[in-house]
Amino acid sequence: MWTLRPVHYLMVAPVHLLLLVFIFVPALYVGWLSLTHSSFGGPPEFVGLENYATMLADRIFWRSFWNTFLVVNIVVYGELALGLGLALLLAGWVPFKRVVIAIILAPYAITEVTAVIMWRYMLEPDVGMINYALKSLGVPQIEWAVEPFSALMVVSVLAIWQHLPFTFLILYAAVTTIPNELIESAKVDGATPWQTFWFVKLRLILPAVFVALMFRYIFAMRIFSEVWLLTEGGPARMTEVLAVYLYRQAFRYHEFGAASATGWMLLLLSLVIALPYLRAMYVKMFRDG
Amino acid sequence: MDESWRTRAIRLVLIAIAIVWSGFPIFLVVMSSFKDVREIFAVPPSFFFTPTLDSYRRLGQLWPAFYPNMLNSLIITTGATMLTVVVTSMAGYVYARYSSRLLTGSAFFMIFVRMFPPIIITLPLFPVVNLLGMSDTHFLLILLYSSFFVSLGTWIMRAFIEQIPRELEEAAFVDGANLLQTLTRVILPLAAQGIVASSIFVLVFSWNEFIFALIFTTRDAKTAPLIIAEMLSTADGVEWGILFAAATIQLLPVLVFVIAVQRYVVAGLQAGAVKG
Repeated sequence: MWTLRPVHYLMVAPVHLLLLVFIFVPALYVGWLSLTHSSFGGPPEFVGLENYATMLADRIFWRSFWNTFLVVNIVVYGELALGLGLALLLAGWVPFKRVVIAIILAPYAITEVTAVIMWRYMLEPDVGMINYALKSLGVPQIEWAVEPFSALMVVSVLAIWQHLPFTFLILYAAVTTIPNELIESAKVDGATPWQTFWFVKLRLILPAVFVALMFRYIFAMRIFSEVWLLTEGGPARMTEVLAVYLYRQAFRYHEFGAASATGWMLLLLSLVIALPYLRAMYVKMFRDG
Repeated sequence: MDESWRTRAIRLVLIAIAIVWSGFPIFLVVMSSFKDVREIFAVPPSFFFTPTLDSYRRLGQLWPAFYPNMLNSLIITTGATMLTVVVTSMAGYVYARYSSRLLTGSAFFMIFVRMFPPIIITLPLFPVVNLLGMSDTHFLLILLYSSFFVSLGTWIMRAFIEQIPRELEEAAFVDGANLLQTLTRVILPLAAQGIVASSIFVLVFSWNEFIFALIFTTRDAKTAPLIIAEMLSTADGVEWGILFAAATIQLLPVLVFVIAVQRYVVAGLQAGAVKG
């Protein structure tokens, strides 16, 4: 009875149909579109690598590239540090642990739109809680509406707030599986808490750290809503990130070919980052059969 | 439990910071939705006030589309979750019980496609969807949201079904049950936790998603996050009270749900991300 029959292939078909029709084939088609001049009311016209050349010569592309680079790195490593700290903290004695974890998870349930609302409310010039506090202390306020760098920092904080639960959970799951005997024997051997962390705990959770890093790099690169809802990429397109750049090209300027070049680049970048993970998975899956 | 009181005190302070960091912004939105408009930007901020439902009343009056849009969110979220559960249960079962090179290859394909950035597919789909008259329909968003979670969902279902002993199915087959009966009467009831775990992710995503809804809906299928975003970017000044009321209505159901099923969130992420 455990032989594979055609009906079993039929059972996996819907999943693969969805993946092919809505993700894989469109993504490949983006590759083709990126080699064309394409807008409304005309068939795509092949132009070779022109879109890529234009993109690489565009000042605004590079600005959004480096903005993305900055935000992604702040977000990923900020989350890693906070998530790891939280995971180690929660692995020890904590009163009402379930409740605490529930509260830490809460931001995961919130839409980006509301996350932007919260932080904008606290950061309104003069009257928002945070800026009011800064003003009372005589410290300059966070001028996210006019200062590109401040805006990108606010975007980063927002993204960390939203996605910390993901990083935390992956790391927490790893930390809680460390065998207690290992920690105990390290202590018996006279290891300081720092040495226990560095030589025992960190080594054991390293695979989880890499998985969390990889997923967060790939997901953070797509950042769109936070920027779009906070600044729309402004002032003067100073705070655009790659996804906003793509959106503007496609849905404001109707340059689908040019937008596809950006999109295809985002895709390739994601795959390059995922390569070690994909390779490890490939080897493991085909070895285990 | 051999920690000194000082270590414990530091622990408690750090926990308190984590709680404030995660919970305070949400608390602030919910609290402020019950404030009088003049109280919202009171300086210094007020925490004691007479609650009023004024903002909720004005939300219904000034944004009549809000509740229909909430309904759209509900329809789309329910549809996407149901579709995902059905297709991933079938696929997860096959991946848990059978193997062949083709199946392994297709499993790898699922992981591979998970790396694709969703925004790029809007470029070719936008003209096609308009051509087919599928723009601004619930059905399109259901299919899109589901597509991005069938991979994770299948993985989670597979992990849960793998733990069910094969003897149960063998007994069912001997009793003359067919594949569909075995699946619906024997396997799925035992994999109920897996169904919950894989539902959470697609449910939360569909309820909160912004960019596909922004690109593919205009009126009939517009979702709640979209109209809330419109409230945030009105030209004639943001009405914070109304915004908070709308945000509160939108966030509470899913927040309660996520807290209720938190242990499945952990289990699902584990099965989906860490295990192969």
